[in-house]
Amino acid sequence: MEQNNPMIQVNHLCKSFGRLEVLKDISTTFQRGSVVAIIGPSGGGKSTFLRCLNLLEKPTSGEIIFDGVDICDKKTDINLHRQKIGMVFQQFNLFNNMNVLRNLTAAPVKIKGMAPAEAEEKALKLLNRVGLGDKLTAYPAQLSGGQKQRVAIVRALMMNPEVMLFDEPTSALDPEMVGEVLDVMKALADDGMSMIVVTHEMRFAREVSDRTIFLSDGIIEEDKPSHELFANPESPRLVSFLSKVL
Amino acid sequence: MAFLARMWTLFTRYNSFFSEGIKNTLIIAFFSVVLGTIFGTLMAMLRMSKVKPLRYLATAYIEFIRGTPLMVQLMFIFYGLPMTGIKIPDISWIPNFSRFAAGIVAMSMNSCAYVAEIIRSGIQAVDHGQTEAARSLGFRQSQTMTMVVLPQAIKNILPALGNEFVTVIKESSIVSVIGIADLMFRSKDVIAVTYISLETLAIAAILYFVMTFISGRFVSLMERKMSNGTK
Repeated sequence: MEQNNPMIQVNHLCKSFGRLEVLKDISTTFQRGSVVAIIGPSGGGKSTFLRCLNLLEKPTSGEIIFDGVDICDKKTDINLHRQKIGMVFQQFNLFNNMNVLRNLTAAPVKIKGMAPAEAEEKALKLLNRVGLGDKLTAYPAQLSGGQKQRVAIVRALMMNPEVMLFDEPTSALDPEMVGEVLDVMKALADDGMSMIVVTHEMRFAREVSDRTIFLSDGIIEEDKPSHELFANPESPRLVSFLSKVL
Repeated sequence: MAFLARMWTLFTRYNSFFSEGIKNTLIIAFFSVVLGTIFGTLMAMLRMSKVKPLRYLATAYIEFIRGTPLMVQLMFIFYGLPMTGIKIPDISWIPNFSRFAAGIVAMSMNSCAYVAEIIRSGIQAVDHGQTEAARSLGFRQSQTMTMVVLPQAIKNILPALGNEFVTVIKESSIVSVIGIADLMFRSKDVIAVTYISLETLAIAAILYFVMTFISGRFVSLMERKMSNGTK
């Protein structure tokens, strides 16, 4: 039903760093409420593609239509759109100079003008949901990697984003902490959050995401419903990639 | 022991020389530090500006100042500028105003370049991920700077800035060459009168040390105050 009205539509996206072409004419769409995994070899352009979606990386050419507006257009107020696009980083990037509570409330209070009391209430509620209700006053340096990443997810959620971008959210974690972060992401997916996840966690891609994109050498090699892509990989590159990582 | 006794006698007898020297050294150092910090901050902003000509200009200034001796810069301003027609006016109620002005201008122009580099490197040492996270939430560039980057950069900047203050106090001894009666100048006066050089220089060294030590302590106190609350 939403096929005609995608949340994000990417048209002919290209990105080069100097002479290095990282993304070569990528076109695709993302539907509201869907969970899309992006997999592929390192250096294939996964992260660059994701970072283009909120313009942390400026595309060399092409269009990214979000909510009907081309965010690559210079006249677009990108800050307004970023408020609707949550992002979670590999390195967490919690604000080191603020405690957990301020990390969570700074953006909604300063950007959206939310009342501090309301923001704090919301922060506590979300923190409790990820099992960190007792860490309100802790500083990032006092948290483990898994805890930091859960706080980072909550920080993005505080802005009520329409879509969440995850840039290898578990790659910097110790193995025993991967699970706790994936659980939070799974719960988010079950709640119907739109998610685009760059990941090396093949189990997450296969079991949680509706659709998986295999990005290699700057082009979309394969793009199918996840169970199909993993059961029936077609392109030889994907076959060889899967044989190495599974 | 006899050496110390001679130092004490010298110090008490020529007390007024030393105290005037200290006063002038502190005046020069104080204004140079304040002006150097203010203009150094501006220079750092130019140095990191998105406007290329401003950035190049600031870079050229910083590189040039850091690559030439302070002595040359000082003489250039005090002796050189008047020859090009730019004269620093004398102000009757401030004795030796033109000398002091030249000394302070040269010292702060010099310090400005170093302060600019301290601030720039302090800001750039903050992980870029912090900026990206703030921008991804929708913070503007300026909000990102004031809320996230600067509070963290301060911790990198303050210790180095403290060192720079101490350096300015010590380097200010160079203004004695343009006839400002700072501590070094007055110490040389004492030597000229008494022919006792070693003891006099020892006194000057101790007085400089006391000044740098106290200001060093003061800076680290500030550091601790500023970094309270952030871990």
